[in-house]
Amino acid sequence: MSDASLIWSILTGFLAVNLVVTVYGIIYGRSLTKKLISLTIFSDTVYVFFIMIGYRFIYPSVPPVYVNLTTREMEYLARHGVDPVPQALVLTGIVIGMAVNALIGFGIIQAYRLKKTVDARKLVGYEEGE
Amino acid sequence: MEARWLGLIMALTLGLALGLGLYTAGAVRAPDTIKPLGLFYIEETFFGNMTAMSPEAVTAIVWDYRGLDTVYETSVFFLAVVAGLAVFRVSGIPARRQGLGLTEIARTSTKIIVVLIVVVSASIALHGHLTPGGGFQGGSALAIAPLLVIPVFSYWALISRGLSPTLLVALRGLALTAIGLVAVLPIVKGLEVVSNIRFYPAYILGQLVSGSLFLYNTFEYIAVATGFTAVFLYLSFEEEFYREETEGGSHE
Repeated sequence: MSDASLIWSILTGFLAVNLVVTVYGIIYGRSLTKKLISLTIFSDTVYVFFIMIGYRFIYPSVPPVYVNLTTREMEYLARHGVDPVPQALVLTGIVIGMAVNALIGFGIIQAYRLKKTVDARKLVGYEEGE
Repeated sequence: MEARWLGLIMALTLGLALGLGLYTAGAVRAPDTIKPLGLFYIEETFFGNMTAMSPEAVTAIVWDYRGLDTVYETSVFFLAVVAGLAVFRVSGIPARRQGLGLTEIARTSTKIIVVLIVVVSASIALHGHLTPGGGFQGGSALAIAPLLVIPVFSYWALISRGLSPTLLVALRGLALTAIGLVAVLPIVKGLEVVSNIRFYPAYILGQLVSGSLFLYNTFEYIAVATGFTAVFLYLSFEEEFYREETEGGSHE
């Protein structure tokens, strides 16, 4: 048990709570805009989990980028470099997330134009709109 | 208001309790080793037998080792923005209006910052195979420039300089077609789709370009920047304009 594990555990705990709160926001939020905000925070939390998998709690931990292009640097990166795979996955996730969020945003604006409300319950006719 | 604070305190306490619980149970260990797959990419990215000739392992994974995934990802991005623009379909651009505009201070500082943004974003994108960064990051940074220009100078500042939504969408289509071509071109030599170093040269005039990675980053830079600029333009048009469009009214 080390300080590193304590920091890691608390970080995991807060991220787990973050996931629960955002899922609550997605399900119970009345406004579609708030649902979208919850969704983006949810996906960002998942990205942080991903990055945590690849991180190395050592000093120094360096990005997986060659600076001098030598084979000696390769050994240094193998000892101190962080994992590049989660970073590549998160990069892909961010691109797709951004595009899909933009699409959802367009949909919400269009819903407001047509129905004059972004309240999910009024939109589906579960409650009366103004 | 009080219920909100109570919720915040509850969430914080829960997070802290969960973290301490995980710590005492010893369930979570801070990682200090690298996984074999990550080590493989770090060792192969520049010196190995399966090299991508890129000093930047993340770009090498994104555009070479998992290149096919990224080509699919780009098509998802393309389709999502196309669908968004289809929802916002309009038959033209709004008529020009005259306003007071912002002060000289805001205008001048925006002019300076916009130039800086263009330079920095180009550096992020075109050095994507050497340093952290790449086409998407550079393109999103470049899209900030029109996002600043629109509130300070109005969208007409962009449209009157030829940056109409139609042109932007066309440019984006061209850049994405170029990405597709770079991906399929190795077929003519009998190689697989998205081949990199076996088809494209690693060095051009003594400069390390990492084969197709430089091309992908450049075209992705253009595609992302123009795509987002078109989205921002459509979002900045007045609501009355869209109301007229949905009601089928005519306008210039």
